[in-house]
Amino acid sequence: MRNLKTSTLLFELSKPARRAATLPACDVPVERIDKLLPKDSLSERLPPLPEVSEPEVVRHFTNLSTLNMSVDTHFYPLGSCTMKYNSKRNERMAALPGIADLHPHQPDETIQGMLELLYELQQILGEISGLPAVSLQPAAGAHGELAALMVAAAYFRDKKLLRTKVLAPDSAHGTNPASAKMAGFEFVTVKSNAAGFVDMEDLQSKLDDQIAVFMITNPSTLGIFDKQVSQIAQLVHKMGGLIYLDGANMNAILGITRPGDFGADMMHYNPHKTFSGPHGGGGPGAGPICVTDILGPYLPAPVVEKVEDKFRLAYDRAQSIGRVRSFFGNVGVLVRAWCYIRTHGPEGLKAVAENAVLNANYLLSRVKHILPVPQGDRCMHEFVASAAAIKKKTSVSAMDLAKRLLDYGFHAPTVYFPLTVPEAMMIEPTETESKETMDAFAEILFRITEESPELLHEAPHSTIISRPDEVRAARQPMMRWKGDGNVR
Amino acid sequence: MPYFYNTPEDQQAMLAAIGASSVDELFDVIPAEHRLKRPLALPPALSEMELAQQLGALAAKNDHAGSKVCFLGGGSYDHFVPAVVDALAGRGEFYTSYTPYQPEVAQGNLQVMFEYQTLICELTGMDVSNASLYDGGSAAAEGVLLAMSVTGRPGKVVVAGSVNPEYRQILETYFECIGAHLVTVPAASGIVRPADVAAAVDSDTACVLLQHPNFFGCLEDVAAISKIAHDAGALLVQSFDPISLGLLKRPADLGADVAVAEGQSLGTPMLYGGPYLGIMACKEAFVRRMPGRIAGQTVDRRGRRCWVLTLQTREQHIRREKATSNICTNQGLFALRAAIYLAQMGPQGLKETAELCVRKAAYAKQQLTAGSRFSAAFSQPTFKEFVIRDKQNRVADLLKSASAAGYLAGIPLGKWYPELEDCFLVTVTEKRTKGEIEGLTRSLNQ
Amino acid sequence: MKPEQLRYAETHEWVAVTDEGGRKVGTVGITAFAIEQLTDLVHMVLPKVGKAVEQGKEFGEVESVKAVSSLYSPVNGEVIAVNSDLPNRLETLGSDPYGEGWMIKVALAGDGGASKLMDHAAYQKQCAAEG
Repeated sequence: MRNLKTSTLLFELSKPARRAATLPACDVPVERIDKLLPKDSLSERLPPLPEVSEPEVVRHFTNLSTLNMSVDTHFYPLGSCTMKYNSKRNERMAALPGIADLHPHQPDETIQGMLELLYELQQILGEISGLPAVSLQPAAGAHGELAALMVAAAYFRDKKLLRTKVLAPDSAHGTNPASAKMAGFEFVTVKSNAAGFVDMEDLQSKLDDQIAVFMITNPSTLGIFDKQVSQIAQLVHKMGGLIYLDGANMNAILGITRPGDFGADMMHYNPHKTFSGPHGGGGPGAGPICVTDILGPYLPAPVVEKVEDKFRLAYDRAQSIGRVRSFFGNVGVLVRAWCYIRTHGPEGLKAVAENAVLNANYLLSRVKHILPVPQGDRCMHEFVASAAAIKKKTSVSAMDLAKRLLDYGFHAPTVYFPLTVPEAMMIEPTETESKETMDAFAEILFRITEESPELLHEAPHSTIISRPDEVRAARQPMMRWKGDGNVR
Repeated sequence: MPYFYNTPEDQQAMLAAIGASSVDELFDVIPAEHRLKRPLALPPALSEMELAQQLGALAAKNDHAGSKVCFLGGGSYDHFVPAVVDALAGRGEFYTSYTPYQPEVAQGNLQVMFEYQTLICELTGMDVSNASLYDGGSAAAEGVLLAMSVTGRPGKVVVAGSVNPEYRQILETYFECIGAHLVTVPAASGIVRPADVAAAVDSDTACVLLQHPNFFGCLEDVAAISKIAHDAGALLVQSFDPISLGLLKRPADLGADVAVAEGQSLGTPMLYGGPYLGIMACKEAFVRRMPGRIAGQTVDRRGRRCWVLTLQTREQHIRREKATSNICTNQGLFALRAAIYLAQMGPQGLKETAELCVRKAAYAKQQLTAGSRFSAAFSQPTFKEFVIRDKQNRVADLLKSASAAGYLAGIPLGKWYPELEDCFLVTVTEKRTKGEIEGLTRSLNQ
Repeated sequence: MKPEQLRYAETHEWVAVTDEGGRKVGTVGITAFAIEQLTDLVHMVLPKVGKAVEQGKEFGEVESVKAVSSLYSPVNGEVIAVNSDLPNRLETLGSDPYGEGWMIKVALAGDGGASKLMDHAAYQKQCAAEG
């Protein structure tokens, strides 16, 4: 039962001298702190944190949690984010002391089990991608993109080739151009055609001997497989460039086809999507990258190596780009990915892709009678419907529909992405949803389109708050509590 | 399969609705020559029990902070994690939700982000905090990139040699691509000398990156170095230890313009290095160039206080190649853990934790250096870490035999600092007891 | 300033060219049509005095909640004045786009390329086609 009295801030609960934690008495000789540390380094007052009791902490955060929609509580068809079921057994595994309580600077011989697991994961990710050289270090998908582009840059530097440009289609995630720039490249946008594929003519006109990398998301952000991909790879390779696969949508092709087999030289995984790491309200993720053997020597160090029956972290890699992250990587996410993959096995992983694609196509077949799906009757693991026609007719926007879905207990699809589809609603059911759930979603979506536009413009009506004033938040940003001037 | 719902009958009904004869037909769009014509070469599927056995067996091969006494630090720490942190952050409504794109159904996460930002501002004295970055190392790199952008000086950064060497390696990797120059000021006495920093800083320098307490546990003269940076029109980026702020002056009070940290100490287990929490806070003037998500307060249509993601135009999904950073996710789960931890500790709890660290570390340093074999490498005051020199210069053997005796005794420093080949870094958190410290001393002296 | 007297760029900036003590000065802003299309503006970045601007090249940015739009200079020259208070009262853009809502004044090089711009009638036609 939701507690409607939440939303008081921690700081407003605070009362002087209240406290939760108690610490043990000091069991070593109690020296004065200002004898141990220089007086002028010490603060003259306590850190200004809220003072609350433990029951208050528990009630506060428990009640806050009930204000969220989540995969555990709701259908969450947020396209591109792959909000599939997050298995509880993986949480239990990742919390084992032999996993959770390992210090990252422990010597290799004290963590042979962990290194074995990470080594096996490197092998597994290489096999699934068809790209055998693997680094588990990047902390998120975007970080993997950046690391891979740095690998490409190091490769071209090593080959004494001046390569300045990274190309990607206009439907690409915003991280692609942003990563390209951080890796020191000029970014060039290639158009997509009406079908959502790369416009080959536009690509050809932009291909020259300055190309370093062509970044492609395949299946694309429109949820379709661009079958031109090997032709694109041939063109790019002929110009001496490399193909980067944004692996955001690997869920659709696990065990079906492999990026390395359709021309990719590098890719990242989003294990928090494809391999079901919990999204944690916005993170953590991880961004392991896989590359061809030729690019392998440039991967970030260290990687896990097996020497006879022992495992070791290999730092001695002369051509490596170096580090992109401290320590080994987001191991907690990687352990869950290992659990997920090992739980499914080879047939199971293929069944993941099959069921994800089956579910998406089924939901597409139900939704297309309500909202047009410009890219056609079939999709991979997700599809993009457009509310443009309904907006023209009734003034109801994709945003209005999304907000009204919340009233009926469904999380909204991703809206207004990709940028190439007007009034886009990107819907990804994932393989862990039932036919009944999707039927209910489609029925509610239909019912909503029959509701009055006035009602929809004001939606949602049943949530803890109505639509927030985002203009006000951006014009006069209030990014911390200041103890006054707050609206009650 | 464990997590699918659809029965064969469902699948047939769905295929009929789609108008497809088989699931395989749905993949016809993928050219036949690219289809994988064999099963993936992976080990077979495991039931939950088998998974627990297999992973349990791997986990059992590892020594860990519960089986050996952990004196390791260097950016990841064996601090105490109160039970409320696991209990609350383990709620599915938190950890199986995502970025609050729909604020009406994400007020829990958004309020936590806002509270986290406020806690970090209070802790650091800074005006604004983002909702977190990946980890301490990438936060330091992003802090430096922020300084380059704010000052319009993209070519040069000065870094103290006493900054975590892995953080400096990340900067080197980033700088290689953008052609920027990283000047490292050595810290021969355990800290950098302000005069050496002054000699390195010029009118092209975007910032000085300093860690305080530094990688060796020593306290830097932040105020003097921040003045040097500011006099040259550069910024001071300070990497701090959040636990230390139970006692030490806050980064803003020392003159830092950007404060970054590894937030793992605030309620997150060591997890062999991640996922962790990148903390970043800065002055208000820089907020539009700060990377990462930010929650802001506003009102809903009925005038009620609420929270949304704000200043999103900084971010990659809108600004693409012109974005402040390519960062997409934050570490929401660990920002949540930090918020719960800080609420649980409160001002007194954080101060007492810091005091226990300082006193126990001082006791350990005194114990270890009481005999003839070991000395403190630096005479500087230290916080919870310190560098021990082995006069017999047999660090590798020493740490190995300590490990056999049940102690993860320290981190050898030679791989980053050749001149400290005979030294190792010892860390003492509030969890270490007098008995454990004395046991370590005995074991190392054997 | 009356809209009829202004010249327009395809990217929806306007310029008013005046003679000030023998030199030609272009006053630059964005049109009411553009402001309407951009919806609720929340932030603006303008250049500093002394910056050289080039016809068709970016001189600043306006932001709404979820979009950033570049401002393109309709003329060539050097910025000699900036309406620096405008970012603090963005509502002025809606209420008086061709007067108080001016953004920069540019000392033109020659005619600054103003002759290549559209007149009011041509711009109206463009807006009708886009709207």
